[in-house]
Amino acid sequence: MRLRYTLHLVGILTFFLGLTMVFPLLFGLCYQDESVMPLLKSMAVTLGSGLVLYLVFRSTRGEIMGHREGMGVVAIGWTAAGFFGALPYYWGGVFTTFADAFFESISGFTTTGASVLMNIEIIPRGFLFWRSLTHWLGGMGIIVLSLAILPLLGVGGMQLYKAEVPGPVPDKLKPRIRDTAMVLWKVYLLFSAAETLLLMLGGMDLFEALCHTFGTMATGGFSTRNASIGSYHTPYIHTVVILFMLFAGINFSLHYQCLKGDLRVFWRNPEFRFFIGAVVIFVLAVSFNVYHTVYHTCSEAIRFGAFQVISIITTTGYATADFEKWPSLSQNILLFCMFLGASAGSTGGGMKCLRIMLLLKHSYKQLFCLIHPRAVTQVKLGGRPVSNEVLHSIWGYFMLYLGLFILCSFFLAATGVDVVTSFAAVAATIGNIGPGLGMVGPTDNYVHIPVLGKWLLILCMLLGRLEIYTVLVLFVPEFWRR
Amino acid sequence: MKIIIVGAGEVGFHIASRLSLENKDVVVIETNADALRRILENLDVQTIEGCGSNPAILEQAGIKEADILLAVTNSDEVNLVASLFANILSSATVKLARIRGEEYLMYQDALTQDPYRIDVMINPEVEAVKTVVRLLQVPGAVDVGEFADGRIKVIGVRLDADCSFTGTKLVDLKKKTGNKKILVAAISRNEKLIIPSGDDKILEGDLIYFVSEKKELKGALKIFGKRAEPFDRVLLVGGGNLGLRLAKALEGLSIHIKLIEKNPDRCRELAEHLDKVVVLQGDGSDQRLLQEENIQDMDVVATLTGDEETNILTSLLAKRMGAQKTVTRISKFSYFPLVSAIGLEHIVSPRLAAINTILQYVRRGKVLSAMALKGEEAEALEAVALETSDIVGKPLQQIPFPKGALVVAIIRGDEVIIPTGDSVIVPQDRIIIFATRQAISQVEKALMVKLEYF
Repeated sequence: MRLRYTLHLVGILTFFLGLTMVFPLLFGLCYQDESVMPLLKSMAVTLGSGLVLYLVFRSTRGEIMGHREGMGVVAIGWTAAGFFGALPYYWGGVFTTFADAFFESISGFTTTGASVLMNIEIIPRGFLFWRSLTHWLGGMGIIVLSLAILPLLGVGGMQLYKAEVPGPVPDKLKPRIRDTAMVLWKVYLLFSAAETLLLMLGGMDLFEALCHTFGTMATGGFSTRNASIGSYHTPYIHTVVILFMLFAGINFSLHYQCLKGDLRVFWRNPEFRFFIGAVVIFVLAVSFNVYHTVYHTCSEAIRFGAFQVISIITTTGYATADFEKWPSLSQNILLFCMFLGASAGSTGGGMKCLRIMLLLKHSYKQLFCLIHPRAVTQVKLGGRPVSNEVLHSIWGYFMLYLGLFILCSFFLAATGVDVVTSFAAVAATIGNIGPGLGMVGPTDNYVHIPVLGKWLLILCMLLGRLEIYTVLVLFVPEFWRR
Repeated sequence: MKIIIVGAGEVGFHIASRLSLENKDVVVIETNADALRRILENLDVQTIEGCGSNPAILEQAGIKEADILLAVTNSDEVNLVASLFANILSSATVKLARIRGEEYLMYQDALTQDPYRIDVMINPEVEAVKTVVRLLQVPGAVDVGEFADGRIKVIGVRLDADCSFTGTKLVDLKKKTGNKKILVAAISRNEKLIIPSGDDKILEGDLIYFVSEKKELKGALKIFGKRAEPFDRVLLVGGGNLGLRLAKALEGLSIHIKLIEKNPDRCRELAEHLDKVVVLQGDGSDQRLLQEENIQDMDVVATLTGDEETNILTSLLAKRMGAQKTVTRISKFSYFPLVSAIGLEHIVSPRLAAINTILQYVRRGKVLSAMALKGEEAEALEAVALETSDIVGKPLQQIPFPKGALVVAIIRGDEVIIPTGDSVIVPQDRIIIFATRQAISQVEKALMVKLEYF
């Protein structure tokens, strides 16, 4: 990998990130709270560091962006974003250790929503806004946003795009990568604006509406209240959030085609059918399961059941109820949803429905071949054949995902965390969900995890958001060789 | 501007790469998944897997919004069908098809008119033959482009020790030579292209491009130490399609031609088609045969077989045995940087020729002709200055031309002006501009900025 060139590009990203800090600063100024000075200081440092990286590693030769540089920029860029994003919290005295600040920042950018804050409501609003904004930036992707806005990254953009956008096969909506990125961000912006408006109609003020919109559309899960969405007791707000979580869990290219006038595009898409099918079945099962045992009216059971299933399957992680008190079948379904995740090309995490669907099809094909040993078959998706190469890479991804899940939960247990918590915490961070079970359940948070465990979970969150390969290559010596 | 390219072979890939660098919206259709992956990984274009002759695929690629369709697969049939369906689906789209088969080209007139309306049919071999013939007409040149209906030539020559002006600054060149009508437009040094200013020097080993009127050409060539007598004896190795076409074209120019072909049956065929050409049966790399045929007296040896490695080696052998000049047919683009390093002067590539021709048609505005310079780093464009364009009515030095672009000639009626900073372009002038790849899209804009107001 050409490190100089990679760092040069990381410099551009860092500078850009510094610019976005102006928004929380505005809110800080507006509310006149203590977040102004730390934010100003962090912004200056971020902009400065970006500029220094950009200038120091500038090269006169025309460089070409290869696979390795693409992955390097994304992996290093995201780590840098987590680092600089942590500065406001650290300097603002929100956390006493840098590990906590870094955890909160990475959890924001990776749209995990796992928090180490004990009492959210006393934190200055400038910080809270930055916390939610990191969700929103990370949801559609910092690099996709930079591709849309900065012409500098135009060359080799495809390599960057591939390394950041979730899903086994990235689709290009427009001939040029810049236009594709722009389209995605426009759709994202449109949905965000709509949700903010609807939430404000439900009685939230602009600040809260924006923060919760960022948390929903990015499938993040940070709230401005201690009791998350649960602190709003109106069915209206619950319904709005449910709807937009669902939108955020669907492939954005489908939204784009739908907005262009092709309404049936959703139904034609096999992954959408799979995703919606899974959502409907799980919602019904959980609602049925919690009816009578927890909730006494049918509408409550459905509302709370649907909220929790959709929140977990889209990997958002908002909570309206303490699902740890639910029957074990419901908890089991929610745990499974953590692995399943949302659609490819959405802002959600997890393994993605598309992958699971293809794996199921492939497994069925194997079974079929046992019955008809001479059968010639081909796994198809929506009538189009899927190449073996794609299937292999998905199997590889599946194995790595499970392998890392098991390995990380062993390590976490080794730091002294109990069994249920260590499994749930790793599943919830690697899938970018947020709340897990046990010590990290919906009413608790990650503050009690030992420091070493927090660093491990930081790694899990990055692995999950960048779909493992991009982060993992950094640990392969071959990657660093010239 | 949206362009659909059918076929991701060598031609499709290079056109896509050029156009995507110029910020055009490019969609590539191809059946071979590996070729598509190569495109997706290297270029900023959209790809669709499928056959370009399939109307459903064309529709999926957005043929209705496309400005141009380029059908450049290896199969004439696919190209034809793709163009015909494109015409049905969207008659406003300009359609270019790469057609090699003689039998189809005989119907060129019918196919370019209603109801088929394939706007341009390009035969790579014909284009390649044209390039070689142009080269042979200007001895000493490495690269020749014609503009203004042949009145102006852009010539590329490699400077060697014979030239007495090496080391001269360009500003001094006019004074020293006394020739007012010579303008060095580009210098290619160490595989890098420079659009020079007056302070740049010309050095031994440079490949320089200059612009000259046809009648002044001899004098200009002499300045750079090149002989000006036309070629007389040519040996062609390889009697395939290209060899036959070239032999036929040269026959008409009263040049003595010998043609070596391996296959006895093909030799008989060649002999039937050619009158004055001496057809020899044998291997082009056979030293005895070359000696017998007096290779040392040959002005040019052209190796044109389908096997490029053989061509390169045969050309080197011919050079060693005393041939003055060689023309080598090479299809693999990755070999191009090698060519001057191993001492081969000219290359001919039907694919490159086809690409050049296609790019000419893709250019926006009133671009009349275009020529890609060595290594595709830059282009020479000929255009008509529109009344509404930003470049008219002001002295050249006041026009904010993009870096890497240079106006090298202005043609006003019968007059050819080699411009200086004070020259003014008036509407309807034809101008020739040199531009590096990065500057091309800006030049195109400058040429037609306000056209939208029409």
